[in-house]
This record gives sequence, C-alpha cells and structure tokens, in this order.
Amino acid sequence: MENNAKEITFSIKNQVEEIARLAEEIEVLVEAWELPMRLSMNINLVLEEALSNIIFYAFEDTSEHTIDIFMALEQSQLEIRITDDGKAFDPTAVQQPDINLPAEERPIGGLGIFLISKIMDVVEYCRDGDRNRLRLTKMVQE
Amino acid sequence: MKLSEKRVDGFVILQIEGRVNTANYHELETKVNELLAQAENKLLFNCQGLEYISSSGLRVFLMTQKKMMQRQGVLYLCALQPTIAEIFDISGFTRIFKIFANEAEAVTA
Repeated sequence: MENNAKEITFSIKNQVEEIARLAEEIEVLVEAWELPMRLSMNINLVLEEALSNIIFYAFEDTSEHTIDIFMALEQSQLEIRITDDGKAFDPTAVQQPDINLPAEERPIGGLGIFLISKIMDVVEYCRDGDRNRLRLTKMVQE
Repeated sequence: MKLSEKRVDGFVILQIEGRVNTANYHELETKVNELLAQAENKLLFNCQGLEYISSSGLRVFLMTQKKMMQRQGVLYLCALQPTIAEIFDISGFTRIFKIFANEAEAVTA
C-alpha cells in the first residue's frame, strides 16, 4: 500500500492573472501538505515559468484554453504534471543558456526553462495527440 | 511589489520589496528606465525585502546591468535573501553582479 499519497488537480485558463490565483491555491496546499518554505517557493517558481511559457507561446488563437496541473506527493517525491492543448513545444529541447558568459554577452531569453531544469530533478515532455504533457519531479525531504 | 527610492553618497538606492514576477515586472522596468533617462549612473538595488523573483524579474536585472555597463555606470545589489541568492547562483547571475551584504558596504565600495 502506498503510504500517505497526496494528490490534487488544478485547472487554469490561459491568462497571466491565473498564475497569481494558482499561487494562492498553492499556498493553501503547502500548508495542508506541510511542505517546507523553500520547496513552496520552488514550486511557485517552476509553475510560473512553465505556465507563463504556455500562456504566452502555446496558443495561436484568441480563444480561452484550459491548462491542467496535477500535483502529487508520495514517498518523498513531488510530481507536477502540466497538460495543455497548445501547439507542440518541447521545453527539454531548448538549448540551455551559457551561465558562464559575462553580462554583456548573456542573452535575455531562455532563463525560465533553465530554472525549471535546475530546480526539478527530472523534466520530461511528451506530445500526446493534441496535448503537450510536461512532467516534473523532485525528491523532497518530508 | 513595492519600490522606494532614496539617494545616498551619489547612489540612487532602489529598495525592491515583495515579489517580482510575470505579472508585475514591467513596474520595475518602468522605474529603472525612468532612472536611466535621468542619467543616473550609480544604482543600488536593495533587495532586503525581495521575497520572490522569476525569470521576468531576472531579465530586468540583466537588462539594467547591460545598460549600466554600456554607459560606464555602476549597478550594485545588496542584502539578497538566501532563497533569492540561490536563484542568482543557479542562473549564473551571482558572477555578473556585484553583490554586497548591505547598503553601507555597497556605497563605500
């Protein structure tokens, strides 16, 4: 039997304001799941980066879309799964920025996905029919 | 986000409090552009009250640094909270900014 598995699903619309609304829900969740402060900050950052990319770049129409976020905490592993029906985009295929470049040479973009890859232990993407599925996992100290 | 400004020893010190994220980073960007338009050449961002920053905010910091370097000006940061310092480490920003523990150290550097 799994021990103390915790799961929750959120759905947001493809609007930037929804990220703040989700952050409020995450605050409630962090308390309920008794997650350490630092982890909750990481979760917020990772969600903001992943979701803002989807909201800004995934949709070529002006319709409302739903983005689903599933989160589970089980046996010291935090899993976040983000699903959207935007155009195919694989964040794991984006070239990582060179963080050794001096300021003048650092390009402005590419940081969001990089931060996700450094904060989470594993980042996996798959295209499933008309869906993008992003799976992020991190081992946490409970 | 709350921004407040003061002048000490030739520096314009911008105190950045709260969160800088996708929804509000343009407020910081606007304020910085105002200061740059006033030809301020010595900027210090006091980050003591900065609790959260995402890539949008980091981009504004980077843009400011690039502009200051172009005009031979100076941008210092001080009083980064540990979680923010960690984000700076991860993104390689620690090496491209001069970061001090507090205002006093920064303005006398």
